[in-house]
Amino acid sequence: MSSDRSADGDAEGTITRQRPIYTESQVIMTTVKVVIPFVLTYGLFITFHGTSSPGGGFQGGALIASVVLMIAFAFGIESTRAWLSNTLVVGLGTVGVAIFAAIALIPMALGGDFLEYTAYYPVLGDTLGLKEYEFVKYGMEAVEIGGIAFIVSGVLMGLFFALAAGFTPADLDVTGAASDAPTDEAVGDDASNAATDATGEVDAE
Amino acid sequence: MSDALLPLLIALPLLAGIFPLLLGLRFERAGWPVAMTASLTVAVLAGWLAWAVSPWSGGPQRFVHDLAGYPAPYGIELVGDGLSAILALLISVVAVAVLIYGRTTGPQTNAFYSGYLLLTGGLLGMALTGDLFNLFVFLEIVGLVSYALIASSDDGRAAYGALKYLFLGTTGASLYLIGVGYALVATGTLNMGDMATELAAVGYTDPLVQAAFGFILIGFMLKIAIFPLHTWQPDAYTYAPDTVSAFISALVSTTAAYALIRIAYDVFTVDFFAANPLITDAVLLVASVSIVVGSLLALLQTELKRVFAYSSVAQFGMILAAIGLQSETALFGAVIHLVGHGLMKATLFMGAGVLASAYGAQTVADYAGLAKRAPITSGMMAVAGLALVGIPPSIGTLGKWFIALGAVEEGSWGVAAVIFISTLLTLTYIGRLLETLYFNQPATTDDETGVVGDAGDATDDGSIVADGGDTERATAGIDDVAPVATERIVVVVVLALSTVALFGAAGLFAEFLDPVFGRFFQ
Repeated sequence: MSSDRSADGDAEGTITRQRPIYTESQVIMTTVKVVIPFVLTYGLFITFHGTSSPGGGFQGGALIASVVLMIAFAFGIESTRAWLSNTLVVGLGTVGVAIFAAIALIPMALGGDFLEYTAYYPVLGDTLGLKEYEFVKYGMEAVEIGGIAFIVSGVLMGLFFALAAGFTPADLDVTGAASDAPTDEAVGDDASNAATDATGEVDAE
Repeated sequence: MSDALLPLLIALPLLAGIFPLLLGLRFERAGWPVAMTASLTVAVLAGWLAWAVSPWSGGPQRFVHDLAGYPAPYGIELVGDGLSAILALLISVVAVAVLIYGRTTGPQTNAFYSGYLLLTGGLLGMALTGDLFNLFVFLEIVGLVSYALIASSDDGRAAYGALKYLFLGTTGASLYLIGVGYALVATGTLNMGDMATELAAVGYTDPLVQAAFGFILIGFMLKIAIFPLHTWQPDAYTYAPDTVSAFISALVSTTAAYALIRIAYDVFTVDFFAANPLITDAVLLVASVSIVVGSLLALLQTELKRVFAYSSVAQFGMILAAIGLQSETALFGAVIHLVGHGLMKATLFMGAGVLASAYGAQTVADYAGLAKRAPITSGMMAVAGLALVGIPPSIGTLGKWFIALGAVEEGSWGVAAVIFISTLLTLTYIGRLLETLYFNQPATTDDETGVVGDAGDATDDGSIVADGGDTERATAGIDDVAPVATERIVVVVVLALSTVALFGAAGLFAEFLDPVFGRFFQ
């Protein structure tokens, strides 16, 4: 649980990073257990209301990510990270971009413009039973949900875990934080993953 | 059909940016092949775009793609013309070159290659967009990825440089956004072409329009790193990994300068400058100060990468001066100089990177006598350096010549004099480098490094070809030489030779730019 405690630095003034120690609290755990379903539902609600009413993938994605943040605070960051797995966090962000790009690029293959949702109408109109103008609405909805909500929630979780893990520079590592060494590489990767993901988020907007 | 190239050029690298991360879950080294494939594809597409807008294709020389099918004043449009095609080609070629160079060096994490592709996509977006707000979005993408890439070095100073850049770069982007906001209030549109006509209707002396231009100008001056606002740039260029410094110094400021040219001449037009002599004079004054001070600061530096960084301040001052001159000749020179500066700085930073990884050379003094030990790289750095001074035959000559010619044609003798002085100053700091490289003897190392050097000699004596040149040790006790991959040197050679070869390309540039400048200077 509290495996992310690190050395407090050596005596001679070199300051290494101090990480918060996880304390198990019945109050926090119970509260989080009660609150989570509502927050998740609210996040999904906001996400699905992206086109015709206030809401959207960005806000909804942030709320969905906040569920994971709350779990992490209540049950320990390291155990949450292990439970969620790196693959899911990276997958959310990257697959979101892929879905967005696919929705945008397929109309070009169908002879329309980039992101022209109505280009789907001749192909999918009969199957889905939608009118041409409705494709704009549902196309946008697909981008909001499959693209932006995925990306934002994935990136926020990634950033949170990267920040929580911290970064021990190589030259500080020799001072005594050797116990951290096995996790260091993964941590560094996460941090830079998150940094580049954050830019994908701007793109999605 | 060719207009479909425009969204593809932007979307492809951005989409490819996810694959290093995604494949990185399974494969350790997935980043480089993905980035290389994507960059090569983008280069082919950019070449296709350049051919499509050239007069030889027989088609229209300006392509417009309405995103989502919404027509221009309401929707966002992407525009490809001769000017943006040149930039797109420069971006994609330098991206491929830096990637080849960076195969064995630089940060090799998959995240780095993701960032690299995102940066390429962002730069292409800036080059191809026809919408002022869209430009801001791409400006932010470029900015954010640049900060991340600069900080990707393990060096703590890189993080400091990136943070400084983050504060100032974000300020610059915000100022640009405020300017666009003022222009939106004045005209009610964000489309570049539409805003040009609307601004003319509002009147160029309207305070709102003047304020809009002022904010946009200051915002871009921060991004380009013009003298009083350049402070982020030397740290960022110096402490970033070599691969990143080469890429960023060659392209990021260049694309920002392109965007300023686009906005100044396509949106605000020459009439705006004619109606506001005070703003024009201010631009020329700031540019001239930047040229002189940038060159002087470059002269004072001891670290080589820092010399090149300050030199960029001076070179971009020259481009800003060309923008303020309202002369077709000078602007032609500015575009050539954008391309030339990008290629020359990429060569110089890459050359410095090769010598730094082979011999650990950081300061100018460290380069003493390296020409004997690394003749190819030193020679190519000399070629690029002399091109930067403006010695013919090189693309540096063309750019400077046309800017200076434009200044003389417009009767701006002050600017012409400043360009002349700056050439002398450039010669001074490049000359100092050349003197160190070719004529100075390497300083005898002290005992400590001597021991290290001997230990190195014992293990790799003669077996390492650092530079394809002679590996004979001229003096005893020199530091050990780390091997450098051959393709890094090949890239430096190719880029350096391209700066020379492009000396004959003035006519080619003119073919591309004539239709664009025809619109700028009606």
